[in-house]
Amino acid sequence: MERRKFLGLGLVAVALVPASLSAFDFRKDKPDTWKAKKVDEAIKALYGDIKPEESGLTINVPKIASNGGAIPVGMKSDVQLKSLALFQDANPEAAVAAFTIPADVKTVNYMTKIKMAKSGEITLVGEGTDGKFYKVSKKLDVALGGCEG
Amino acid sequence: MANMKIKAKVKGDTLKCKVQMKHDMITYNIAKKKGVDANFITYVTGKIGDRIVFEASTSQFLSKNPIIKFEAPSEGVKKGDELTMYWKDLSGKEVTEAKKVKGLK
Repeated sequence: MERRKFLGLGLVAVALVPASLSAFDFRKDKPDTWKAKKVDEAIKALYGDIKPEESGLTINVPKIASNGGAIPVGMKSDVQLKSLALFQDANPEAAVAAFTIPADVKTVNYMTKIKMAKSGEITLVGEGTDGKFYKVSKKLDVALGGCEG
Repeated sequence: MANMKIKAKVKGDTLKCKVQMKHDMITYNIAKKKGVDANFITYVTGKIGDRIVFEASTSQFLSKNPIIKFEAPSEGVKKGDELTMYWKDLSGKEVTEAKKVKGLK
């Protein structure tokens, strides 16, 4: 792994709208989400003007990430969800990933690894099958910025 | 060449999957510095037969060679079934790979 490659913060990236194939592809349906610089704007672009409840979801991250190039982020829900979106505020754009939850998945248990340029806050927003929105945020420290955004 | 490492296992009523995708995940900033095109995985699905067990739209901020773990109900998964993972990146490259689900008698 050439971690050096990831070091340092570069210039703000120019966002492009990528082409896509699937009807479920958030990149095609909600292109603004991926260009939003702030978490709030990204959430608004994805779900509209919502008032999420601060419950139902859990984020599992290390308190201090030694390597910002690969921070494991565990995502869990106690409620049944239609979709789930992951944001952070340390990189030039806020959105990291949006998951479409299959209808037969009762409680979500996902994990992925993300890049963060510096310490920041990770936000998870879920759209429940009951029509409500759920949200959770967690701060974490990044010891070594691993992402150029 | 293997573009993915896939592990899928049924444990009780849960299907546990772990996938590592081989991809550089070049963000726009790295691309600018190095003078190459940004390229990262934008869309991932996991299927068993026709049933979608995982679907995600992803951005440049997943780590290099991103790992995804997910769980789905194991109901209906039979011995010999395969987990088919598919991803697509910004350059339009598409990769599909399948692996047999373990843990079934």
